[in-house]
Amino acid sequence: MPRRARWPGREHRLAIETMQEHSIIGRPVPKKDAWLKATGEAKYADDHSLPGMLYGKLLRSPHPHARILHIDTSKAERLPGVRAVATGKDFPGIKYGNLPQTRDYLPLALEKVRYIGDEVAAVAAIDEDMAEEALDLIQVEYEILPAVFDPEEAMQPGAPQLHDHAPDNISSQSAFHFGDADRGFADSDLIQEDIFETQPVKQGMLEPHACIGLWDNTGKITLWASKQSPYVVWRQLAMGLGIEPGKIRLVQTYIGGGFSGGKQEAMPMDFCAVLLSKKSGRPVKFVHTMDEVLTIGHLRHPIKIWLKTGIKKDGTLLAQHCKIIANGGAYSSIGQLSMYIPGAMLNLPYRLPNVKYEAYRIYTNNGFCGAMRGHTLPQICFARDSQLDIIAAKLGVDPIEIRLKNAAQPGEVTPNGFRLTTFGFTECLQRVVEASQWREKHGKLPRYRGIGIGCGSLVSGARLMGHSSSTAEIKVQEDGTVLLVTGSTDVGQGADTVLSMIAAEVLGVQLDDVRFAMVDTDITPVDPGTFSSRVTFWTGNAVKLAAEDARRQLAEIAAQKLEANPEDLIFRDRQVYLRQQPQRGLSFGELVRLAEYRLGRIIMGKGSYTSGEELIDFRTGYGNMSPAYTPSACVVEVEVDPETGQVTVTGIWGAHDCGFPLNPMLVRGQVLGASVMCIGQALYENLIRTQGKVMNPSFRDYKMPLATDVPKLANVEHINIITRDPSGPFGAKEAGEGAATGVIAAVANAVYHATGVRIKSLPISPGKVLFGLKEMQGKGNKPANLVKG
Amino acid sequence: MGYLRRLPRFEYLAPRSVVAVCDALAEYPGEARLLAGGTDLILQMRRREVAPRYIIGLKGLSELAFIRPQENGGVTIGAMTTVRTIESSPLIRERYGLLCRTAAEMGSPEIRQSATIGGNLAGALPCADFPPALITLGAQVKLKSQQGERLLPLEEFFLGPEQTVVGPSDLVTEIQLPAPSPLSDGAYVKFHDRHAMDMTTTGVSAFVTLDQERRRFCDVKIALASSAPTPLRAKNAEAALRGQAFTEKAVEKAAALACQEAQPRSSWRASRDLRLELIKSLTKRAIRQAWEKAKAPPDGGRP
Repeated sequence: MPRRARWPGREHRLAIETMQEHSIIGRPVPKKDAWLKATGEAKYADDHSLPGMLYGKLLRSPHPHARILHIDTSKAERLPGVRAVATGKDFPGIKYGNLPQTRDYLPLALEKVRYIGDEVAAVAAIDEDMAEEALDLIQVEYEILPAVFDPEEAMQPGAPQLHDHAPDNISSQSAFHFGDADRGFADSDLIQEDIFETQPVKQGMLEPHACIGLWDNTGKITLWASKQSPYVVWRQLAMGLGIEPGKIRLVQTYIGGGFSGGKQEAMPMDFCAVLLSKKSGRPVKFVHTMDEVLTIGHLRHPIKIWLKTGIKKDGTLLAQHCKIIANGGAYSSIGQLSMYIPGAMLNLPYRLPNVKYEAYRIYTNNGFCGAMRGHTLPQICFARDSQLDIIAAKLGVDPIEIRLKNAAQPGEVTPNGFRLTTFGFTECLQRVVEASQWREKHGKLPRYRGIGIGCGSLVSGARLMGHSSSTAEIKVQEDGTVLLVTGSTDVGQGADTVLSMIAAEVLGVQLDDVRFAMVDTDITPVDPGTFSSRVTFWTGNAVKLAAEDARRQLAEIAAQKLEANPEDLIFRDRQVYLRQQPQRGLSFGELVRLAEYRLGRIIMGKGSYTSGEELIDFRTGYGNMSPAYTPSACVVEVEVDPETGQVTVTGIWGAHDCGFPLNPMLVRGQVLGASVMCIGQALYENLIRTQGKVMNPSFRDYKMPLATDVPKLANVEHINIITRDPSGPFGAKEAGEGAATGVIAAVANAVYHATGVRIKSLPISPGKVLFGLKEMQGKGNKPANLVKG
Repeated sequence: MGYLRRLPRFEYLAPRSVVAVCDALAEYPGEARLLAGGTDLILQMRRREVAPRYIIGLKGLSELAFIRPQENGGVTIGAMTTVRTIESSPLIRERYGLLCRTAAEMGSPEIRQSATIGGNLAGALPCADFPPALITLGAQVKLKSQQGERLLPLEEFFLGPEQTVVGPSDLVTEIQLPAPSPLSDGAYVKFHDRHAMDMTTTGVSAFVTLDQERRRFCDVKIALASSAPTPLRAKNAEAALRGQAFTEKAVEKAAALACQEAQPRSSWRASRDLRLELIKSLTKRAIRQAWEKAKAPPDGGRP
């Protein structure tokens, strides 16, 4: 097929260009730690053990809402093999958390429990059996309180109140208005209003939370743990223990998946591990079981989204008004930010002059919600891009045309102050239309087959309150190898590889010459962590600066030796030589030894990156959140079984502007992984809770898609749109989250085009499709793709 | 449902013969549980739903792990035969394609390697896949105890969810399948949310025998999973097809009757209404597929 031959040709040309320009960057290189992980050699937190180590277990609340009247731990303490027991009273009672106004976590519950699974007590024993047996011996006297599970009920007067500081159970809210929404609606030819609902979804990382805590005689605390944002944990641990962070050393282990499933925060197990260590004088290990992981929290927010859109006859978007109510669960996590993001990015990747937004995050007696890959954007993109298709159908406009018409362009500033530097959205749309053969398929597929599009956008790292910058240190060693030290973690996304590639490119060494260190807060520089797709951009820039710093030091010495200008030197293939006379040069290793042995100059480079001093004003919602934004477009083809309602995704084609793919193999892995995750949310996943009780806390019943549930590779294509962002390292932007933000809407739109059934609540389950079809047949309607126009 | 925990304390008995198992059961009436593949029991114990004092491990009972052809053309399967063994047995494939295909689509390869046919029946979960397939094949179950042995049709084996006629001192020892008649075959069609490795929302097994001209249903058996507290024979649906020619109308009618016979419940996994819709769709599919397979010449039509 000519179409297939063409794109690889283009990619091939790009590869050739890249090779000429760079020696490392832009090449598809497997992850540095792939071999270790594939052979099982990588040590995850649970693989570590220390001499004399005890095993900890947590006692959890069986009630969704209750007052703790009394806890008797004496029987548990007397059980042979038990070394220490802890309750909330063993901690100073300081609430910790993310943003100052939403700190509501305690290491262990004090007065109340607020959901089934809330941590009440902890034990450390010589083995896990003993620790579990001890849990049965802890007697907790509860006064059961009325509970509330639905956010809209929780907002009503007289509803049970979860937290004293939060009247009407409002955990956080966000509201802003840019432009003039009323005017925009008044000028509109069509106004569309819909309500969409999303479900609670779990990250599904395969490594459960795990840690080992040690509180030594000198008062120094060490925590070895699987943490994607170790410095957040470091700070929160100090906060909740009421001590200085300097007393704590946090050592990161290999991380078996992050997705903000709890590894970005201090958890009760971390507090209990160190406290029980203090009490027992021994190291204490905690490992969650998978049903604990699935029960406790950090879910993707289930949100009810009311969205009103005003549009001109020609398809120009004029105004949007959006109200959301999120079921926050029992605690805040990062909920304040979760509520800001959907409004701030409601428009992107489209141009929208007038936006009005109100968001409420409500406390309920459920496991709590936080961030998850894409944060709250997959939900809002599902609503917005579903509605865009409803509007397109009403206006008789092609879904692609309406998107092209409103596509935001580079150089634009959104009403809330986001500055779009590079933004290849139009090209995303064009390329995905071609790759998916949209024009040949849309409206032309056989009955019960359909094709749909969804789009989205993401930040390349958010500039938040508090500490935001990333730092890297480079130590060049006498054998010509490089030790790269950052505060960033590899959660499987490939940070170890990409950051090393940046250092290797700048210093002209091979990728294998660069060693990437894991976080140890005693050694590595402070870093915000791995979230909001910031590592490649922020830490990548820091690594580039650090490597350039080291190269400058080396170039100065080489220039003296070669009697040349430092600017004329090329660092490449482990050699340093003159640009005009490549034969004049010396090896990288020789140069380092010259510097270190002869001149006594140890080569260490340093670099820090932050996107500027501007902060978002969360009261008005105005400000530029990120140094760069990525748009994406995704087309999904589905087949629907009209007798069972089962939806099968048969093809997925995506285009995403990642600026420049530093490692196309890893970009592809990230994009496909994120897309499969969103196929999961679109069709299968749903953490079912009845009266606050999780009914499906296992991977048997919490259904993530398997290989049989995703399209064959022949029907999967990902296209990188190259825009080379001027402030990204080597032009790179975000790649791990954005490409999937439109997937859910694409699935919903494809199901609509296959069946005529518009599903506005997730997941798109067989029952909803089947009864939707029956309802339509009752009305004598035909599937959409049989209707002309 | 509690959290998954470490296994509770129990005493493990490892008898080496059926007689020894029966003795152990008689010695600790009501206090012992039989452990076959363990795919259900271990989870129940880890959730503390059951905490038996004694576990009688059956892994050592090689005398119950067999697939044996009978002189009458039938086959006997030992209760400790794993799903994987059934799936890969040439004898089962040749004589009972329905059972072979049902086995091949259960759980994951790991589960199939461990789970046994005896456990799948004795566990009596309404969503189990073997019971409907075996019922339509006309299977009988043999139980043994110190008092002796008895043989009963599988249909009469189930009393309710996780309840069977197996008494506290009984052991399921074997499953007997009658000789397959010529011009007969069956299909088990099930639905679950994902495309594989998932629990059955609803399943329908149909086994048909054609007349010599291959025009009419000579005999039909239909059994349903997850459609009632026990695996259910849809006898009205069967009767409606018996003696009829294969027509879409006849299939539709049978499916509608199966829906009337079924009594599915609503649970968080699926609503009653969805299950009824599925029973209708799957019954039609099962009958059609069974018809096609039975009609095909024996050498060419089977996998």
